[in-house]
Amino acid sequence: MESIKTELAVLGAGPGGYAAAFYAADLGKKVILIDKSNRLGGVCLNEGCIPSKALLHATKVLTEAKEFARRGITFGEPKIELDRLRAWKDSVLDRLGQGVASLAKLRKVTVMRGRGYFEDSHTLRVETEEGQKFVTYDKAIIAVGSRAAMPRAFDLGNPRIMTAREALDLPEIPGDLLIIGGGYIGMEMGTVYASLGSRVVVVEALDKILAGADPDLARPVVNYAKKNFRELRVSTRVINMSTAGRQIKVEMDTGGKTVTELYDRVLVAVGRTPAAEDLGLENTRITRDEKGFIQVNERQETNDPALMAIGDIAGGVLLAHKAHKEARIAVENICGENSLFKDVVIPAVVFTEPELAWCGLTEEEAKAKGIKVEVAKFPWAASGRAMTFERTDGLTKLLIEPESERIVGVGIVGHGAGELIAEGVLAVEMGATAHDLAACIHPHPTLSETFMEAAEVFYGYATHAYSRKKRADE
Amino acid sequence: MDIRLPNLGEGADSGVVVSILVSEGDAVAADQNVIELETGKAVAGIPAGRSGRVEKIMVKVGDKITPGTLILTLAGSDAPAAAAPVASRPPAVRQTAPLQPVAQPVQTTETDAQEPVVESTSEAFGPPASPTIRKLARDLGIDLRQVRGSQHGGRIVMEDLRRYIQGLMRAAQAAGAPVAARSPATPAAAPPSVDFSQWGAVSRKPFSPLRQVIARRMQESVTTIPQVTQFDEADITALLELRKKFEPAYAQKGARLTLTCFALRVVADALKQFPIFNASLDTAAQEIVFKEYIHISVAVDTEAGLVAPVIRDVDRKSLLELALELALLASKARERKLAPAELEGGSFTISNQGGIGGGFFTPIVNPPQAAILGLGQGSRKAVVRPDGAIEPRILMPMGLSYDHRLIDGASAARFIVALRQGFENFPEELIKIGA
Repeated sequence: MESIKTELAVLGAGPGGYAAAFYAADLGKKVILIDKSNRLGGVCLNEGCIPSKALLHATKVLTEAKEFARRGITFGEPKIELDRLRAWKDSVLDRLGQGVASLAKLRKVTVMRGRGYFEDSHTLRVETEEGQKFVTYDKAIIAVGSRAAMPRAFDLGNPRIMTAREALDLPEIPGDLLIIGGGYIGMEMGTVYASLGSRVVVVEALDKILAGADPDLARPVVNYAKKNFRELRVSTRVINMSTAGRQIKVEMDTGGKTVTELYDRVLVAVGRTPAAEDLGLENTRITRDEKGFIQVNERQETNDPALMAIGDIAGGVLLAHKAHKEARIAVENICGENSLFKDVVIPAVVFTEPELAWCGLTEEEAKAKGIKVEVAKFPWAASGRAMTFERTDGLTKLLIEPESERIVGVGIVGHGAGELIAEGVLAVEMGATAHDLAACIHPHPTLSETFMEAAEVFYGYATHAYSRKKRADE
Repeated sequence: MDIRLPNLGEGADSGVVVSILVSEGDAVAADQNVIELETGKAVAGIPAGRSGRVEKIMVKVGDKITPGTLILTLAGSDAPAAAAPVASRPPAVRQTAPLQPVAQPVQTTETDAQEPVVESTSEAFGPPASPTIRKLARDLGIDLRQVRGSQHGGRIVMEDLRRYIQGLMRAAQAAGAPVAARSPATPAAAPPSVDFSQWGAVSRKPFSPLRQVIARRMQESVTTIPQVTQFDEADITALLELRKKFEPAYAQKGARLTLTCFALRVVADALKQFPIFNASLDTAAQEIVFKEYIHISVAVDTEAGLVAPVIRDVDRKSLLELALELALLASKARERKLAPAELEGGSFTISNQGGIGGGFFTPIVNPPQAAILGLGQGSRKAVVRPDGAIEPRILMPMGLSYDHRLIDGASAARFIVALRQGFENFPEELIKIGA
């Protein structure tokens, strides 16, 4: 069979893969983009970021409507039509998926639907609906992503035991939902289902929820969950699960005690594993780490000179925006530029209630590494804007290098933290100082003012926070 | 209880253990020094911080350690002693100091490999610059840590990068090499090692951190400052007689009346008269900084190399005070016990080689200072008087090097004449104790 020749083949059309394909096409390369699913967009669009945010938005209304009674606005009991909610969510995904497809078309990127398999370092066999196709290329970028981990012990073949992928499809609103894993996926999904009316129990093996975040930032999220979930259980391990009629019997060890409970559904959110199987990677010179992620250098090059890897499959933090940046790095290197994934600030956002976001150095990390930083905090209790919607449980925090006054880390918890963190990323990437931030006018009344005021707290002259420490007097 | 190396203050992010002052099993007090550490600036004793019995010593002489490194473990230690900072907060002027090249990666000993190594804050983060500037620098092969940022917090902008590159080109041209032939990426590339042993036996010693600092500063001085040296001789016959007369009184107070003491006084008076010699050039701001204080660095020869402790407010101290302080600082320097603060803030330097027997020499300006005075040993010479009579007088050689960007030759001539007259007409009342 004759093979199709191209300069660049991109395997996987998630936020890393399609960004790489488009960028390479924009730079004049002939590109084939290969993906096995009908809707382009990868995990992010199909079973991750986008559907979860759509559902969080929809279910937030339920919580807010309830809260409004004491402010003098009362709604009737909400009626939840799961089919319509699901259809609306799917319509968002369809629009986005079609958008990606039409952007590919405009750029003359050939989209090939089917599973790709490496025959050797320069040949991909693609199983399409029209049969097998062979693609030969100068370079290929592997961007096949990851999938939710399902430990074998939990995998009973019972659809009531789900990963985020199934949970986002809203099969039903379970009465009692157990979420295994208190990371960002577990907490986000817990927020969705608790708003829909499920009694949610989150269990976490570590001794805290949202382990990567600074405790002061995680606290409001934990407080919300304590109030709206049935329970948060830390230092708890699930020992055994079994089918018990229409329920799941779960046996767990919580702080040394064994507890057995019945749940209508269980969501397993214990992490993600690389989607590296059945790709024919063994036919290439690619090496993988002990967790199965493809090993790459700072140029996104694998051990195989013809192959690069980006996004979740290349390990590191598994975030869409990291994949996007890596796409840029990989393509630029293919085009002969010297680009490195180095000194890059990767923001993290958790879309819980309230949202939690950070970038650069965290306080915990500074402590662990012994890096001396000063921390300036502005609690949202002092923000007029936060008071107008009665969410004063937020906090804006800056980590500042004391001698140069440079901002090296930003943490935010509170309503809209995910949007606010972008200013923090800019500040850290640009090497801005607290003074730079304090000197910029921030519009009133907005939450963005908390950035400016946190910077002013560092100097001891924040308008809406009194601090005894006056830096100028030092 | 783990005793770790505390933060050393700016300019010292690592040090070499030069001696260990305690043994395993010793009882130590909180303020007792346990090791001596040579940093780029001084040799400082590191106190235990807590009292207790030394269980295990985790470092050995010669180890290069960073703040946070485990020094030793104490048994039965009590509450921490009141904070004993090793270094004072660095003066604000450091902010505009040029970024120094980063030293070799720190070698940690095996014992602390698992411990989190405390990074100095300046090295924990890359140089402050926008992603665009960082990319450009990488493309050009420029290490941004070498580039001085002009913005707040030392942030590097395009203008700074351009200035740096222009500097490299000028340096390349001055070196007589065609610009194109030189890679701007390796401005300070070390010449290849020469195998000297092919011509005979050799031995090698480490280039100590102190010597590295001296080397860097000297290099910086000659490459950035156009310097001129102005010579003269001062007739110190009368001054030496005065010294002989007052020496015993000073000795009674435990002070040595040296020529450097007189020089401090004479220089302070001349600096008041010609403040440009007490100034600094701020190239970033394109301003001249005039200092209203007179802090004089005095070069002291030590076994490890030259150090220049600073005597503050020279103009406000009596000759006796100066003599006592000078002796104290010199002995601290020789014992390598100077605190970093005692080495900072000088606005002029005196280097007196008279005691060693040196003659005329051309000292090198100690940046960011504007000038330096080098003194030699006074010797008897035949002086022809205006009336033709020949008289033996003791003349002291003086070499005044100055930053020609700031100071014109005429000013230098006036300044050195003022110095000469200061030495030749030193008022006796200033020497009298209690005066």
